[in-house]
Amino acid sequence: MSDAIKFMIRNNYEATPGIKHGDVFCNNNSMIGDVHTADVHTIIPIIVGDELVGWAAGVTHEIDVGGIEPGSMCYGHADRYGDGLLVSSERVGENDEFYAHYLQRCREGVRAEMYWVLDEKTRLAGCQMVREQVMRTVEEVGLDTFKAFMREAIEEGRRSFLARSRQMLVPGVYEAPSFTDLPWSEDANVHRLARKDMMMHAPLQMTVGGDGRLDLSFEGANKWDFHSFNCAPSPMQGAMWVQLTQTLWNSDKINDGAYFATSLKLPYGSWCNPDYEKVSTTLTWFFLIPGFSGMIRAIGRSYFARGYVEDISASYCTSWNLMQGGGINHYGVPSAFTNFEVSCGGTGALYVKDGETSCAAMWNPEGDMGEVETWEALEPLIYLGRGMKPSTGGPGKQRGGTGSEALRLLFKTDSQTIFNGGEGHVFSSYGIFGGYPGNSGYRHNMHDTDLKARFDKREPYPVLDGDPEASQISALCTAAREDFDMKAIQGPQEYDLYLSMNRGGPGLGDPLEREPEAVARDVNEGHVLERFARSLYSVELLKGTGELFTADLPATEALRAEMRKSRLARSKPAAEFFAEEKQRVESRAVIRPVADMYRSSMKLSPEWAAKYRGFWALPDDWTY
Amino acid sequence: MERSYIMSMDAGGTMTDTFFVDGDGRFVVGKAQTTPQDESQGFAQSCVDALQQWGTTPEAVFPSVQTGIYSGTSMLNRLLERKGQRLGVIVSAGLEDYFQLERGIQTYLGYSYQDRLKVVTHRHNVPLVPRSRVYGVRGRVDVFGDEAIPLYEEEARAAVRRLIAEEVKGIVVNLLFSYANSTHEDRVRAICAEECGAAGVTIPVYLSSDLYPVMQDFARLNTVTVEAYAAEPSRGQFRKIAGRTRGYGADFELRVMASHGGTISTEAKELARTLISGPIGGMVGARYVAEKLGVKNVVCSDIGGTSFDLGLITNGGFTVKSQPDMARFMLKLPLVDIDSVGAGTGSYVRVNPVSNRIEIGPDSTGSRVGVCNPQGGVETVTLSDCNVLLGYLNPNNFLGGEVILDPEKSLAAIKAQIAEPLGLDPYDAAEGVLSLFEDHLRNEVYARVFGKGYAPEDYHLYSYGGGGPLHVAGYAKGLRFAKVVVPAWAAGFSAFGCACADFEYRMDRTVNVAVQSPELNAAGFKAGFDGYARAVNEAWATLEQRVEDEFSKSGVARDRVEFRHFGCVQYVGQLNDVEVQVPFERVKTEADVREIITRFEEAYAKLYSRAATSPELGYLTTTAVITGVVPVEKPRLPAEPLAGPEPSPDALKGTRKVYREGKWHDAKIYHMERLEPGNRLSAISVIESPSTTLVIPLGFEANLDEHRLFHLTEV
Repeated sequence: MSDAIKFMIRNNYEATPGIKHGDVFCNNNSMIGDVHTADVHTIIPIIVGDELVGWAAGVTHEIDVGGIEPGSMCYGHADRYGDGLLVSSERVGENDEFYAHYLQRCREGVRAEMYWVLDEKTRLAGCQMVREQVMRTVEEVGLDTFKAFMREAIEEGRRSFLARSRQMLVPGVYEAPSFTDLPWSEDANVHRLARKDMMMHAPLQMTVGGDGRLDLSFEGANKWDFHSFNCAPSPMQGAMWVQLTQTLWNSDKINDGAYFATSLKLPYGSWCNPDYEKVSTTLTWFFLIPGFSGMIRAIGRSYFARGYVEDISASYCTSWNLMQGGGINHYGVPSAFTNFEVSCGGTGALYVKDGETSCAAMWNPEGDMGEVETWEALEPLIYLGRGMKPSTGGPGKQRGGTGSEALRLLFKTDSQTIFNGGEGHVFSSYGIFGGYPGNSGYRHNMHDTDLKARFDKREPYPVLDGDPEASQISALCTAAREDFDMKAIQGPQEYDLYLSMNRGGPGLGDPLEREPEAVARDVNEGHVLERFARSLYSVELLKGTGELFTADLPATEALRAEMRKSRLARSKPAAEFFAEEKQRVESRAVIRPVADMYRSSMKLSPEWAAKYRGFWALPDDWTY
Repeated sequence: MERSYIMSMDAGGTMTDTFFVDGDGRFVVGKAQTTPQDESQGFAQSCVDALQQWGTTPEAVFPSVQTGIYSGTSMLNRLLERKGQRLGVIVSAGLEDYFQLERGIQTYLGYSYQDRLKVVTHRHNVPLVPRSRVYGVRGRVDVFGDEAIPLYEEEARAAVRRLIAEEVKGIVVNLLFSYANSTHEDRVRAICAEECGAAGVTIPVYLSSDLYPVMQDFARLNTVTVEAYAAEPSRGQFRKIAGRTRGYGADFELRVMASHGGTISTEAKELARTLISGPIGGMVGARYVAEKLGVKNVVCSDIGGTSFDLGLITNGGFTVKSQPDMARFMLKLPLVDIDSVGAGTGSYVRVNPVSNRIEIGPDSTGSRVGVCNPQGGVETVTLSDCNVLLGYLNPNNFLGGEVILDPEKSLAAIKAQIAEPLGLDPYDAAEGVLSLFEDHLRNEVYARVFGKGYAPEDYHLYSYGGGGPLHVAGYAKGLRFAKVVVPAWAAGFSAFGCACADFEYRMDRTVNVAVQSPELNAAGFKAGFDGYARAVNEAWATLEQRVEDEFSKSGVARDRVEFRHFGCVQYVGQLNDVEVQVPFERVKTEADVREIITRFEEAYAKLYSRAATSPELGYLTTTAVITGVVPVEKPRLPAEPLAGPEPSPDALKGTRKVYREGKWHDAKIYHMERLEPGNRLSAISVIESPSTTLVIPLGFEANLDEHRLFHLTEV
């Protein structure tokens, strides 16, 4: 929101359209200052006498923004023209009221318009309350004191941030790249310009200065593309601050002061600073979330060096599969939904303990998956179940938090579009100190099923998918079509099944160092599938009392010794490894989307190209 | 002897307090160690301790006690310590991981803002029932109450058999949308009965549709589980205490303070709502005092060792939240709306080494007071240390002199931890800390009043609790409250409040029924009227019957009960509703619906400003609510003759140096109990009673009125 305000000041809104008491501005254009189109701002000026002394602003994620498909963050279209209703720091009201024509435009421009309009009004009411409080303070202390305080608070924020950073971090350069995939070449649902396999490259570099400054760079990021995951600088700022406020800077007095102690380098023309203003940005989070996952590990390494071990996390999980969509709902009216269970993924393993099951999201530490009955009131899909998804937490000495899954049955509707958002072929957030990543994604939907007949005969039906290699869905449901990998399912019918799955967090430390009894407990409690006790943790299990397992300690010790031996046998001197890998690079032995990605990065950034060539000792003109 | 005593008790974690009021409003407070195994022992000790101050005994007084109210923390402790009943749980299939997933919000409930932001601090709760005793049963009812999938009865039967084999003491049943259609739950209960009968065992079954027929499956499951797990075992304690009172010759029915602000029978079906009653007592007491004085609007404020509690009485009533959290559980219980700020007299004071800022709390030393307490073992400065150092707290009068505090220790600690790092004089530093604390509370007070759509000018401010009167001038300063009032019995005000509560049941039921705006969509309004009226009227009738059933356990007939009817209303599409009382018992005409809408619109506009009204969306009544009230004997307010403005010499204890505004002053120290109505106290005065201290700082004066209420005014 602050970028949207800065945009108005930079563009001399004080002259045109003018800024006066009672004006109401709205923005949801992330190229100006917003994270993505679904986040709609209300911004009002605070004017004392004839002086503009501040702004009050509020933001809500709208359930639908009138995009080409229902749901708040639809994708698959090529550019902004499918994004929906776009309001670019526009004056939408005066005298503390919205223009009637503006509300009319909103009603006509979005689905589930009642939510949009209701939210507009409540945001405005909230802003007015903030404005009144500020006015009261100004009245109480005088304008000069108020202004002096604001400036001091900002300067204090800057200094405190630097001091905190000096206290907690070790100066230096931290590299933490990450990637995500878009396997769309075969997906007929997406626009022809996007119908290709793509990779996102986020070569995050964090530099901590001796004075405590924190500079983040994405130099080397590859080019934007015809998908909806492009980010402008404003979303990148937003993502950086949601990370800092969850870790280094969890202060209740966050202001632009800390902003002045940081910087963010975003190469022009890349996915994180597009040189084409008409890119689609509905789901920037799809790149932001993987893109920043390395930052938490970089900070964690620094904490480790300082000894702040309680604060170290293996980072977060990604927030998929993101379930959203819409159509004619169970009340018989056209509507849209976005299911925010994704706000509760498994958290990353900590240095001192396992990650938490279904707990938070990168973009919201205060995650809350809501209640089944609440979601069913909003969505025409019955929950057949919602539970822990085993083996989703990343293995490690400390295990990543376990994710969850919900199996949804289309009911009292036969015309929905439901998106399947999520990575599938890559890990977008890795473990730390030898820990493994959490799960990557898969999709599993059933079309034209036999479930109605099963219900009538009281035959078992699936309530979750469980172990995908022994899928409950496949075992207990017969369908005309079984989908595994599509952008979205469209035109499903009643009694179709949709699997919504939330990821587990990455792990920390070598799984061979995990307490064997902890692994047995993981299997007993449903965190880890039995077969992975041996293959991932080298733990031999024994059937104890009842159904419960215990660890066979001598056998585990022997197995682990063997595993270590085999690791040694496979190991090689670093120089030898480097030579082999270099050979792979030189022969360009990578799949096409990876080659495309690197080529794009090298073309866009001579600086990064030189770094890459320097690292692999390649000729100056070498490229993918 | 005239039958006019009122007794209330509060069995805390360490001490059991009893509070006796006679017909003239005089009271005594007794204390004894709490005896968790059999609370009636501590209760008996405490009664002896209280009544000996009047030179009498429980045997002499109890036959004349008309009302006896229990409040206590044993239920809460049972929950916190996970020492409740061994239960089994039956839920809709696929949801067996309820207690493992919880909701993310339960991993940070009760955290400070900083820790809520910081993900690495978030933790799930230890489940009340292990995963191995939670069973799923296939079958589904949908949001409309329609059966979507038939109940797989054999799965229910198998689950019950396994739970019988597990020797559970109770079975909780919580199926999706059971509030809308309870047939599946009813059937599970029948199967439980059949299987228990066949096995020759008796196991109580707790149905969510029976106990808490409200929407939100997880919070409802929490509530029913807490009921069976922690509340049910308290019945035994209640019976022992009641037995003790009868042994003393009493014939009143012991009642329990409940979270909705009334008292209920110990035999009530829904006992979990007595889980937390402490701060509510103060609100009920304040409402009662206000009513007696003809005051409509009161801000209630209470400072204890760990928190600052704030609640609003508006138009003579308080608001009730329907989805509170307690002990890190989201619940579906009515709870008097009280905001708690993590700042009390025991809050720690530190200088943040990074920012060089003074930080107060959020953690506190609680009952250990501060560094000044030689037995406390506290090393970090607390607010009490600042109060002791500056002379506001009498080191020899803490808890009536039970604990002798050492100001020198406070001085050394404040010097080393606060003053020197900041380059300040220790007394200036301590005064700075207190003014920071009071400014913080003042902002909280203002924000709460303002946030609800009101201004302090329309309210009286009541201050009570051990620490409220010490700081009330500081947090009331400049807010222009109509009056600032401190009862002379501030320390015992919560117990007094419990004794002021009516005998009152409250029942909620989800209805989720909408009507259109009669102005904007007259046809839609007319078309929806019948369905709306039927749904609301049916729910009210059911709830009235349940209230009647509860009262009948205490031998109270329906005609003695005053029923009040409420609806929780919101615009269609919103997430939060507003509770409105309606002036009729049934929705009979369209005018009745208009009345509900008008009342909602008024309350809503007050809360959220006119800009947010959205009648075009229509109105959803989410919940129907019935309260049934039977008035009971309550304590009388003291009414004493007025003396002159000058306190009598024996009220003056002497003088003490206190530090204010950068210098030392001679403050007059008074015995609170010896001051007489009509007395006027000027600044700086410190008025002491064994459990509380009222400070009249520079810029203020105080009068004691005929009800023994101090009125603090800015001069």
